[in-house]
Amino acid sequence: MKLPKTVKDALKIVGSGGAVVYLTTSSAAGKPNTVGERFVAVYGDEYILIAEMFAQKTRVNLNENPRAVITLAHPLKGRSWAFAGPTAIIQEGHAPDEEFEGARISGILAEWGDWAQKEPPSEVPPDIRPPVLVQRGVIIMKVESIYDFAPERAGLPVNF
Amino acid sequence: MALLTTRMKNWLEGTGAHIGTASTEGIPTVIVAAKASFDNSNTVVFDLSARQIDHIRKNVESNPQVALGPGGLGSIRAAYQFKGTGRIEGSRLKVAIEEIYSTKPGPEAGLRLDTLPFESVLRFEKTRWQDDGPPASV
Repeated sequence: MKLPKTVKDALKIVGSGGAVVYLTTSSAAGKPNTVGERFVAVYGDEYILIAEMFAQKTRVNLNENPRAVITLAHPLKGRSWAFAGPTAIIQEGHAPDEEFEGARISGILAEWGDWAQKEPPSEVPPDIRPPVLVQRGVIIMKVESIYDFAPERAGLPVNF
Repeated sequence: MALLTTRMKNWLEGTGAHIGTASTEGIPTVIVAAKASFDNSNTVVFDLSARQIDHIRKNVESNPQVALGPGGLGSIRAAYQFKGTGRIEGSRLKVAIEEIYSTKPGPEAGLRLDTLPFESVLRFEKTRWQDDGPPASV
């Protein structure tokens, strides 16, 4: 689905006015995994990208089950949105014309393959900022649905 | 059962969590709770709205596996993930914690903490963070 501008404005790193997000995946047998992520961006009109920095269980889960959910976290600013859709990890080594759900992988990696260089974590407090960031690839979701997670609207579609 | 540190409990109580559940077919869904409390040393309790309960009931009753990520303001310092078994009691979700992982970026991402000696977990925390939970204003 096409992401509205308000969503595109929110799915950026915190230092650019966006938010930390949480990525939830699941094993094929239904064991969920929920981790926070700082490096997030929108690609094109339909895709969310997250830097893949050795997210071990996320990789195992996505290799056997592509269903995932991305939730906005802090600062929330009323943006209680959850995004769902097919998700994968892409990295160098794919065939040159390989695509994920219609998005050319080589183009994504050329733009976002060195995220720490593109958007260094300057807003992260020095005492917890990783001295070196090693990126293995990019997590990509093609957004198919958006639902609300505000307590009184949990699970309902978001009206933008 | 996993043994939580005081710091872990303080963060969960103070900022709540993003709560991941999944269907038996592996389709995940997420709700978010802003606060939590503890029933006992290992069971975290979330007071939820009726709609939140509706949203997760089928998942939890058919597949009680739950994942928790502390998600409130400041919780970049609460780099933990908790996994356990959930049950719904009225308007509450209770999760008995069974696994604890570090989500600190870098070489310690995915490190399982509950299998370490408890003293090592305390040392792990003490040498990485100076706080004992979220700031009082959060």
